[in-house]
Amino acid sequence: MKNIILVLIILIGTKLSIAESLEEKGYNIAKSSYESGRGFTDMISDQLMILIDPKGNKVTREISAKSLENLDPYDGDKNITYFETPKDVEGTVMLSHTHINEDDDQWLYLPALTRVKRISSSNKSGSFMGSEVAFEDFSAGDYRKYKWKYIGEEIYEGDLCYVLESYPTYENSGYTKRVGLTDKLLRARKIDFYDRKGELLKTVFFEDYNLYGDKIWMADSMKVENHQNKNATIFQWQNRKLNVGLDKKDFEKSSLMRLAD
Amino acid sequence: MIQNTFQRKIIIFFLVTLLHASHTNALDLKAYGFIQPESSIYINGDGRHGQDNYNTSLFGKGTFISYLQNGDAKFTISAIGRFDQSDDQLRYLDFQKFKYEYYFDDVTLKVGNEIVFWGVNETFNIVDIINQSNLAENISGTKKLGQPMASISYSRDYGTFDVYLMPYFRERPFSGKEGRPRLLFEVDKNSITYESSAKKRKIDFALRYSTVIDDLDIGLSHFYGNNRTPVLSPNPLTLKFDTHYPVLSQTGVDIQATKGPWLYKLETVSAKEGSERHLGAAGGIEYTYYGIRNTQSDLGVIVEYAFDDRNDNPFNNEGIIGLRWSVNDIKSSSLLAGYLFDMRGNSNRFQTEFEQRITDDLKLFLDLSLNGSIDEIDFTHQFKEDSQITIKIAKYF
Repeated sequence: MKNIILVLIILIGTKLSIAESLEEKGYNIAKSSYESGRGFTDMISDQLMILIDPKGNKVTREISAKSLENLDPYDGDKNITYFETPKDVEGTVMLSHTHINEDDDQWLYLPALTRVKRISSSNKSGSFMGSEVAFEDFSAGDYRKYKWKYIGEEIYEGDLCYVLESYPTYENSGYTKRVGLTDKLLRARKIDFYDRKGELLKTVFFEDYNLYGDKIWMADSMKVENHQNKNATIFQWQNRKLNVGLDKKDFEKSSLMRLAD
Repeated sequence: MIQNTFQRKIIIFFLVTLLHASHTNALDLKAYGFIQPESSIYINGDGRHGQDNYNTSLFGKGTFISYLQNGDAKFTISAIGRFDQSDDQLRYLDFQKFKYEYYFDDVTLKVGNEIVFWGVNETFNIVDIINQSNLAENISGTKKLGQPMASISYSRDYGTFDVYLMPYFRERPFSGKEGRPRLLFEVDKNSITYESSAKKRKIDFALRYSTVIDDLDIGLSHFYGNNRTPVLSPNPLTLKFDTHYPVLSQTGVDIQATKGPWLYKLETVSAKEGSERHLGAAGGIEYTYYGIRNTQSDLGVIVEYAFDDRNDNPFNNEGIIGLRWSVNDIKSSSLLAGYLFDMRGNSNRFQTEFEQRITDDLKLFLDLSLNGSIDEIDFTHQFKEDSQITIKIAKYF
């Protein structure tokens, strides 16, 4: 009898250790979701940012961007952003070499000063161009920057979605918690962001998903609603092209001036 | 100011290139600029040379960029100009950039007018030497003149090498008789001498190696040519300044370390003019507090110090404490305030620059420059009564 109990305990123990914990399940879904968006190699796009105040007044900002995928699993992608409007910043160029759990390397070319400056990137929670998008939101899809927890499932706009909680592990985040919905095609659909006090700050809706290169789903629209200041920002991607043949040399500090005046 | 045949030749070369290039498909074309009316009030009243206590000026900038030969080449024009009510030295047109660049895999070739900045400091840019400063624009020398050059740049993983040949020298513009602020005497444009027998046609030469190692940005540079800073000596006969440009050989190092919100900056030069060698060092720290008082605004604190071992150098023991406040609002409001002080005596100066977008294509600038107590022996004593408030409104197109 003792032996049977022992066997049962061992069996149950084994069973438990095989089953995913909620943390592991959340992590695995986030990882799969992130990986399903990889393989773009490089990308160019025009981006439109519409800033909307609580009265409904709108201003539009235009930028164009290039990205290079980093195949090194321990390092981040490289991006170049060219600012077109507002007109007083036209010709400003920003280069960033992103990293996973340390500060990005960032350089800014300022046409008014005709100089390239290395700038601090520790301002993760800061606003991008006066919008409701924070700098850290641009890398919000990278599972390696968070701890994860699977909460359950929920129907969102007719689709069954995983509900995942995540907690930033990098320094200087403006968030303590995110609650996101990821559908069965592994596309992030909506994320609620909680601020440093634990209060609901904003909701980001990922919309207008299109399939690129026959394999990668990308949201061509991102809508941010700030629940505290009642501002909103709509981010739209246009003329997005993948795998256009950019390489590492296009993303060096010395190549920044090729885009500048 | 197309005041010489050399520049004229370069411009003709470019126009021919451009016409030729227009047969190929232009990949991309950009054109933008602004015009900016400005108005200044001098709060000490009329100037010591009888200048008015009020001045207006019109400044403008236009930029044209065209990518040619399937994006392997770029043609750029960037011109600035000013028409000043009082100062005839502030009525000019300058081609800051008028250049053709061709990009090979690792190599970039460039010919034409260019602005090249070297260094890391906010205030004391002692390594920066390629471009002449337009002192008629401001006495801190941050406004430059386009430098004609041919250059080659070679980039590899371990860094970038730049070689510059500069076949034509640009003399330093100073404020005219009616300018404010201006030097004690006028600068005599008919009395300019050079150490080099080739004078303006001396081919100046410069080399730079720059690299990025993690959070360090490092530059090593050497310059040999006409010094951009002339020696001014009062002529007892004309009661004007005679100008002399010695030959300068200068080696510079500039380093910035970026550690989170901290920036550490250092520039040093070792330079030889005639038989005399001098050393200079300038550097500082910048720290930014992000999201102050739970808002989106950032506050940066900048401290910089400059040392030069020449006793007669006006910046031989100078410091600045500055604050940069960025509101990060939809109007991109920002305020830069600096307190400059000479650590030998008790001279000091206070400057602020405020800017804010009014509409999508209008921007307001408010500049304030206040001279505090300035020792009589200090170089800047001659500008003591030139404290001013300037309002500028830029219209972008």
